[in-house]
Amino acid sequence: MTDDVAPQGDDLLAAELALGLLEGDELSQANARALRDPAFAVLLVAWQERLVAMTDEIAPVTPPKHVKKRLLSTLFVTAPVPVLQRLWIWKGLSFAALALAAFLGVQQLGPETPPAAGPLYATQLMGDGVPLQVLAVLDARQGDVALSRVAGREAEGRSFELWAIVPDTPPISLGIMQEGATMRVALPENLRSRGAEITLAITDEPAGGSPNGVPTGDVLAASALVAI
Amino acid sequence: MDRGQIETLISRVALNDRAAFTGLYDATSAKLFGVCLRVLNDRAAAEDAMQDSFVKVWKHASRYQANGLSPMTWLITIARNTAIDRLRATRKGHVDIDTPGLELAASGAGPEQMAVASGEARRLVGCLDELSEDRGVAVRGAYLDGQSYQELADAFSVPLNTMRTWLRRGLMSLRECMSRE
Repeated sequence: MTDDVAPQGDDLLAAELALGLLEGDELSQANARALRDPAFAVLLVAWQERLVAMTDEIAPVTPPKHVKKRLLSTLFVTAPVPVLQRLWIWKGLSFAALALAAFLGVQQLGPETPPAAGPLYATQLMGDGVPLQVLAVLDARQGDVALSRVAGREAEGRSFELWAIVPDTPPISLGIMQEGATMRVALPENLRSRGAEITLAITDEPAGGSPNGVPTGDVLAASALVAI
Repeated sequence: MDRGQIETLISRVALNDRAAFTGLYDATSAKLFGVCLRVLNDRAAAEDAMQDSFVKVWKHASRYQANGLSPMTWLITIARNTAIDRLRATRKGHVDIDTPGLELAASGAGPEQMAVASGEARRLVGCLDELSEDRGVAVRGAYLDGQSYQELADAFSVPLNTMRTWLRRGLMSLRECMSRE
């Protein structure tokens, strides 16, 4: 025990933090540590778990009804439909929608949720005979398309290229899909207000993308954006 | 409602599910209100503290899964910390304890570690009674009444540093007692 001074010190510090006994610099340092030091956070959580037993003997008391009413009206008064919820409702796309919403930097929580974002368009690109699934959301206000790759890998030495297709125009390259789950591509200025008309497509191209600016390989997936 | 159901509700609240939030409120508000009342000993203040607690739950539900606490511990810790901050705000020179449970990054605590902690937790009350009476009262005073070292020192008429040493020893005995089989 005696050669174990440091861990014991940390354990004490965690206990004092959990009890609310720290003040000033000690408090801010300990809070900062809980955020960046997982071992310390474990100690803190363990103390919170232990100390909460002191509330076991506290009997529940049903709060008056008006508290609930006030709470709900405080939280939900503005009621813009958050982006995340729109994605959620759209297809119940749980994981992909979450990853994408996080990537979009969506303010998803709380009463300060900003007014609903501008028009949103989304689609799910499903591979035609190949295991490819990409969720795309066009945020007209940001002027870009956020992509979340749920499934699919490029063939060796090949790239996936993303295209925007609008009526009476050759496909416009939006670039190569990067590796990784999510990415964001800027939309050309003249397409930003045309979300409802855009079809997105993914083609199989040589590494680095089509050499001549038009699709050269197979169209792996194509799907029109719809407003959500 | 069991642990799994409350966890499910919290995870849906993290997705802005209002029905889940209402369900969570219905299932847990009586316990949280009881805790706020115990700390604040004033109905109006306890109502406010409980409301603030649920606002925090709504805003921070997405952080819950990362912090390793059992769901009721998380909720009660938020309510307790919120109530104590409110209590201290009415006192001179108050310091917010800043709801540490909310701000935790992933603790990395696995279910096994937490099962050990909650097993120990069940022994807490017995272990508090095993402490010398004064020390047990001091730990409860800190946790349930938000007393600072200075306030505890005043209450027990001992110098501040003596109080610190004393309570720290009490915490270590508590830890030792709780980890005993």
